[in-house]
Amino acid sequence: MTQMTPMTQMTQMTLGPQMTQMTLGPQMTQMTRTPSREPARRRRRTALLVAILAVLLAAAPASAQAKEKLRIGGYAMAGGITFASSESFDAVLGTHSGPLFGGGARVGLPWFGLFVDLGAWRFKDEGERVLQAGGTLYKLGIPVTITITPIELTGGWQFHGRRGIWRRLGPYVGAGLSSYSYKETSTFATTSENADDRFSGYHLLGGAEYKVLNWLGIAGEAAWSTIPDALGTAGISKEFGETELGGTSFRMKITVGR
Amino acid sequence: MRLDRRGRAACSACCLAAGLIALSTSTGRGQQDPFAGAARLMVLDGGLPPIDRGLRAQDAPREARNRAASIEIVDRAETALPYLRGSLIVKFKDGTGGNAVASALSQVSGTSSTRAAWADFDIVDIPITVDVEAAAAALGSRGDVEYAQPRYLNHAFSKPNDPLYANQWNFPAIDMERAWDIQPGATSDIIVAVLDSGVAFQTATYRYNSRFAFRLTPGGPVYRALGIIDVPFAAAPELGASGSTRFASPRDFIWDDTDPVDLDGHGTHVSGTIGQVTNNGVGVAGMAYNVRIMPVKIIQGLWDEIFLSPNEGTDDIVARGIRYAADNGAKVINLSIGRTEGGAAPAVQDAMRYAVGKGVFIAVAAGNSKDSGNAPNRIADFAASIDGLVAVAAVGRTLEASYFSTTAAYVEIAAPGGDQKQGGTGAGILQQTLDSDALETYNLPPSQYGPPRADVFTYSYFQGTSMATPHVAGFAALLMQQGVTNPAAIEAAMKQFATDKGAPGRDDVYGYGLINPRATLRGLGLAR
Repeated sequence: MTQMTPMTQMTQMTLGPQMTQMTLGPQMTQMTRTPSREPARRRRRTALLVAILAVLLAAAPASAQAKEKLRIGGYAMAGGITFASSESFDAVLGTHSGPLFGGGARVGLPWFGLFVDLGAWRFKDEGERVLQAGGTLYKLGIPVTITITPIELTGGWQFHGRRGIWRRLGPYVGAGLSSYSYKETSTFATTSENADDRFSGYHLLGGAEYKVLNWLGIAGEAAWSTIPDALGTAGISKEFGETELGGTSFRMKITVGR
Repeated sequence: MRLDRRGRAACSACCLAAGLIALSTSTGRGQQDPFAGAARLMVLDGGLPPIDRGLRAQDAPREARNRAASIEIVDRAETALPYLRGSLIVKFKDGTGGNAVASALSQVSGTSSTRAAWADFDIVDIPITVDVEAAAAALGSRGDVEYAQPRYLNHAFSKPNDPLYANQWNFPAIDMERAWDIQPGATSDIIVAVLDSGVAFQTATYRYNSRFAFRLTPGGPVYRALGIIDVPFAAAPELGASGSTRFASPRDFIWDDTDPVDLDGHGTHVSGTIGQVTNNGVGVAGMAYNVRIMPVKIIQGLWDEIFLSPNEGTDDIVARGIRYAADNGAKVINLSIGRTEGGAAPAVQDAMRYAVGKGVFIAVAAGNSKDSGNAPNRIADFAASIDGLVAVAAVGRTLEASYFSTTAAYVEIAAPGGDQKQGGTGAGILQQTLDSDALETYNLPPSQYGPPRADVFTYSYFQGTSMATPHVAGFAALLMQQGVTNPAAIEAAMKQFATDKGAPGRDDVYGYGLINPRATLRGLGLAR
């Protein structure tokens, strides 16, 4: 019985009316009021379930606290990406990393910190067309521009604490679908010799948002994406046998909205 | 190879040697040596301007010593839009408000970004699937739009303005006009050595001694000794001015001096394919028209034999010529020569390895023997073992193998060399060279036979792997200018981007295929 008490206290302390009603049903109430004669094992199991429930309740989104059903916000982001097809990018652009800029919108759902995020960003860099012959890479001085514009649809969980720093800091994880627009243009190319394609894949991400104000926050995020079979059918990526357009990116965000 | 030269002259070299009648004249005997110990004497440095007799398009197709091809029209047309998709240029009238602009943009589902510097118009992005011309027309019809137009693509006008360029089917056949957009003719930093019968690079008069009468064919008419004669030479107007920097480090290994003048026309024609002066509104075009030409004479013409040149085009002479070119700054060597007789050519092979080791790319003719036994060119048959040395086969106007082009395991690449059996005279390769009427007087009856002139020029169609090889040499020069300086890399790039023909992959007819200068010079992007 003593095990139940803290739970009750916590519930009373933190949960709003809805959650209280949801979690403290008749059975629970009965359990807390009726002295148990069950075996210890059953009591332990029950305690575990209650503990898990308590964690979930403790992680309930701020929306619940604010009695909001949805939280809608937007963000702008800047960061950098390192492409997995390093040899190909190195050959043409001289590097396989570069800056990205973008933005998006996030909708926080009123269930367990779930959110849906739709973002887009752009990577653009210029390099030279190349020849690889006799084991040597020759830059030909013909400008080539690579523009990659992904659209990412992410579903995830954002955790919020209730005390201290955790009231403002919300770590989150997510995963979703990516759609990458890939454009490659170069001097002397006919339209058909330039690339303007779109490829699909998926991504995983994780980060943390810090609310500077109720409506303004900053976030840092790391993402990993895979866009298989986007490269490698022609160009230097074919020579290197690299087919992956995805990579690892780090982004800083400025978020607005509650 | 020189095997493409005209009919009567075809076998004249050997017949001349056999037919020399050593006792027919006293000229040059018992007299003071008019040459002061030299084999020949320049008696006038400079001279009258060359005579240009224009195009010789009515000549009967020249007998190539070696045959066969089938006609197949190769469609290399490309359906390329003349404008960019996905955007257009729009200029709104002054004072057009934001709402009107937004209305206009929404009409074509467009968005406008920040105006670029030095622009008084906007670039409107539209969905890639939208018909650009229709969208431009729709916007252009609005009252608040001054004009709207597709983003038409402009490009360098690389089609040469040389009036006879229209007769040079060989350059469009390998997409040279677009290749010149990328690399317009290289520069004088690149020296291409033409190891051949000499080059019409100098305006001068040389004194020769025609000591012996001769027959061109066994039992044929006897041509008398001409005695001491002065032969006028002129620099080919379409190659460059005499004494100009167009010509680098000339060397004559047939006459052992530094005056490798051309008494045949073959070397001058080959040089034209490599570097004919282009876009000058005159005559014809060349592959790498800004390079410097290094004339190196390592084979003799019939006149050189008549004048008893001290050397002939033996393997040692060829090898020395190759080493000379490599030691004197050549970046590319053209060898439109060879032999099918005899055994291996280790001296030449060593010289080629030496040159390639010094960073020189070498193009050598595969040979013209397909229709006459298909014997290999012995100075090319080791080409596959040297990266940086490429043996070149020939294709005709239909881009099928020329009837004469030797097929062999050493053939590595193909280029236009003409096939006049499949298209008549005009199916040869047209360049400026010495006028055979003025030069080859030994083709006239003995009564009309007289001293040659090497200062009269025409535009003539030749055919042979000799003509294919300078396309590859010029191509190599363009690649060098583009930064691909390693001979082995040049060879690898040529093979990588060649247009495969015949059996898939490498074959003995076309090697890795027909050269594709434009694709090679353009190289590779990330995904395209």
